[in-house]
Amino acid sequence: MNDKWTDRLSEYVDGELPAEERTALEAHLTTCADCRAILEELRKVVARGRALDDRGPKADLWPGVAKRIGAGKVVDIRSRRFSFNVPQLIAASIALVVVSGGGMWLALHGSAPETRTPVANVGQTVIQNVRGVETSRTDAAIADLQDALTRNESRLDTATVRVVRENLALIDRAISQARLALDADPGNAYLNLHLADTMRRKLELLRRVNAIATAQS
Amino acid sequence: MADAEAVDTALAASGDASAFERLYRTHVNRVHSLVRRMLDADEADDLTQDVFVRAWQKLSTFRGESAFGTWLHRLAVNVVLARRKTLGVERGRFQAGEDPLEHVSARRVTPEISMDFEEALSNLPDGARQVFVLHDVEGYRHEEIARMLGVVPGTSKSQLHHARMALRRYLDR
Repeated sequence: MNDKWTDRLSEYVDGELPAEERTALEAHLTTCADCRAILEELRKVVARGRALDDRGPKADLWPGVAKRIGAGKVVDIRSRRFSFNVPQLIAASIALVVVSGGGMWLALHGSAPETRTPVANVGQTVIQNVRGVETSRTDAAIADLQDALTRNESRLDTATVRVVRENLALIDRAISQARLALDADPGNAYLNLHLADTMRRKLELLRRVNAIATAQS
Repeated sequence: MADAEAVDTALAASGDASAFERLYRTHVNRVHSLVRRMLDADEADDLTQDVFVRAWQKLSTFRGESAFGTWLHRLAVNVVLARRKTLGVERGRFQAGEDPLEHVSARRVTPEISMDFEEALSNLPDGARQVFVLHDVEGYRHEEIARMLGVVPGTSKSQLHHARMALRRYLDR
């Protein structure tokens, strides 16, 4: 059975027929039992589609995903890709200028007098000074956000607060370890970047949790 | 009260794989079902993994304007459509002469080999199947579907009607 209205029944079910056609179709339905039957079945198909159960994969796909995203993998420092923020780039470029300038001076003047500060140490000092300024700024931002989180915590549920605290504790431990390691080896570029990266993560986490908490109000 | 998932999303965006695993566990069934219904079942596992790897890579672009699930779902649809494009699946084209009823009814020979509703859905021609999944299962509008598939809304409506007409035979299975 197929009349001129059959192909319009889905649009009718979805409420997408223009008013004039809807009125005409409804008049047709009063006299056409076939179209009424099809219409009823189409409504059931729509309901069935909406009620389909989601079924997961037969095997656990997480191990494959974890492997591809590098979850749980020990980071190989040599292959690690770093992202640099502007202060880090400034620090690196200042250090490069100093080291390059020192290298040029050495090339032009031969061996440096014993009283001069070694070029590498000058570069390290610059990195440390810039890092010091940057980390103290980050520390201040983190302190502000932690204060904000303390005020906003009541807007978060208990489980969420627990997860956030656990993760902040983990990040804090990583920051402490990085700082201890830097005390022993202040010029270590990897440790500097690792500290900056870990602090950035803490900053980002605090920002987002505060945003979530604020959005609850 | 805050949504714990939003916190997990923030944690995952900051590089926490454990948080991302929790998101995976929450959403894998829905993503896998979407992929399986829109593509062949034997591709569903690989594509589902692709979706989550892609989500991990793009999490930094998630701004929280929508729920994570909504964002992930749209990402999954894009991955599926890109996959189809890559494969150059000819049968996915919306051909005027295509008759969805033939494809389904050809498999329904006797009650012994009758199909259930999901199986009937998987046997629809790709165009009708995609539109049905996106519209009736996932709730997208014809205008959105038309943009995703590169067709006009009228084609999407027509494919949907053909799919429904074919599937009504399998309501009780």
